Amino acid sequence: MHIHELNPKKTVIALVLFAVVILFGLLTVVNPRLKYTQTPEETIEMVVWEEGTVFPYELVDVLDGSIDTVLLIDLRNNFEYGKGHIQDAENISSVDLLKDENIDRLKQLKEDGIAVVVYGKNQLEANGPWMVLRQLGFDNVKILLGGYSYYTKWGNNLGDSYADDAYFLGGADHDFAEVASTNFSDDETSNTKAKVTFSRKKKAVVAEGGC
Amino acid sequence: MNRNYIYLTFLILILSAGVFFLPERNNEKFLNPEDLMWDIMNPSRFITTDNIAQMIIEKDPTLELIDVRSVDEYNDFTLQGAINIPLDSLCAEGYQDYLGIEDMNAVFFSNDDIKADQAWVIARRLGFGSIYVLKGGLNCWINTIIIPKMPVETASSEAFEQYNFRKGASMYFTGAEISSDNAGEKSSVKVTRKKKKAVAEGGC
Repeated sequence: MHIHELNPKKTVIALVLFAVVILFGLLTVVNPRLKYTQTPEETIEMVVWEEGTVFPYELVDVLDGSIDTVLLIDLRNNFEYGKGHIQDAENISSVDLLKDENIDRLKQLKEDGIAVVVYGKNQLEANGPWMVLRQLGFDNVKILLGGYSYYTKWGNNLGDSYADDAYFLGGADHDFAEVASTNFSDDETSNTKAKVTFSRKKKAVVAEGGC
Repeated sequence: MNRNYIYLTFLILILSAGVFFLPERNNEKFLNPEDLMWDIMNPSRFITTDNIAQMIIEKDPTLELIDVRSVDEYNDFTLQGAINIPLDSLCAEGYQDYLGIEDMNAVFFSNDDIKADQAWVIARRLGFGSIYVLKGGLNCWINTIIIPKMPVETASSEAFEQYNFRKGASMYFTGAEISSDNAGEKSSVKVTRKKKKAVAEGGC
């Protein structure tokens, strides 16, 4: 121990090693390629308020060329794209979306102030990729409601399609409480039928025993 | 000589003070974007209404249904045993305790599948596993389970089997409500009996 204390160089060596380790640590801090810039709370706000969506009839101006700051990106696979796609749409399939070259492309588009409209077969197919891009900070990326299937349904008459709100999802098709209790109200109206319910139950017991 | 040690000590103390200036990082379990995208590409998160019906009827203890619609809609109608986490409260205090429970499979559902899928993406990013989406949502639930359509005569026997199952399930779900609403004291007995009947119908 005393020899060690008498040798000041050892302390210097320790100091240098220490500094090297710290530097090495700082330099190799994981710097992920892609980072979320949106907090989950912001994402929730975005989807609850339905921001970043494009109605199908809004495409008309894009398709006839009166708006040229919009780029359509088809997220379906190359095969589907080949079979048919929205006019002037580019094809970047969802699986390739986060590749370096595509991320660079999207960054460039964002810098140039070009709005990107992504679509899939339907809204659901593009929903995930769209949310990922949004969370990565590409707030110029929008999702086409209704997707390609709605587009093909209206084709050249897309401008008239605002009356058909099939693209608008999230609503209830039925009054669930009422539909789901149809049998309930039937049985309720005639009390005599309550007996029928009982006999049914007997059968149930038989079935129970049988199996 | 001892002075060197003192310097060293101070150096370490100063460096450790740097910890205070590090950005807050509580996102360790966040899924990175590449993995999130990969999971999104994977359609296995979607569960059909038939599967869910079967699980409810069999009282699968691992099933945790999560209704992401608003509180009002939830109070009006929901699936049996579902809990309510409105989409806008997914990050609110307390709600996330319902997610990530060991051995539980959480299934999000909404009117259709968009909102549920959005909830799924956010929850997945937050690092929760064993989460699923009810394909088609409640609209599909009504159209397949509650009011099943008879397959055309030329349909496969599987289609008819499925139809029979759905008929039974429909009886179970609409009938079970009679007992719970009508005769309070007998309700539990009725429900279990009907359940067995439905199972027998589907299984045999």
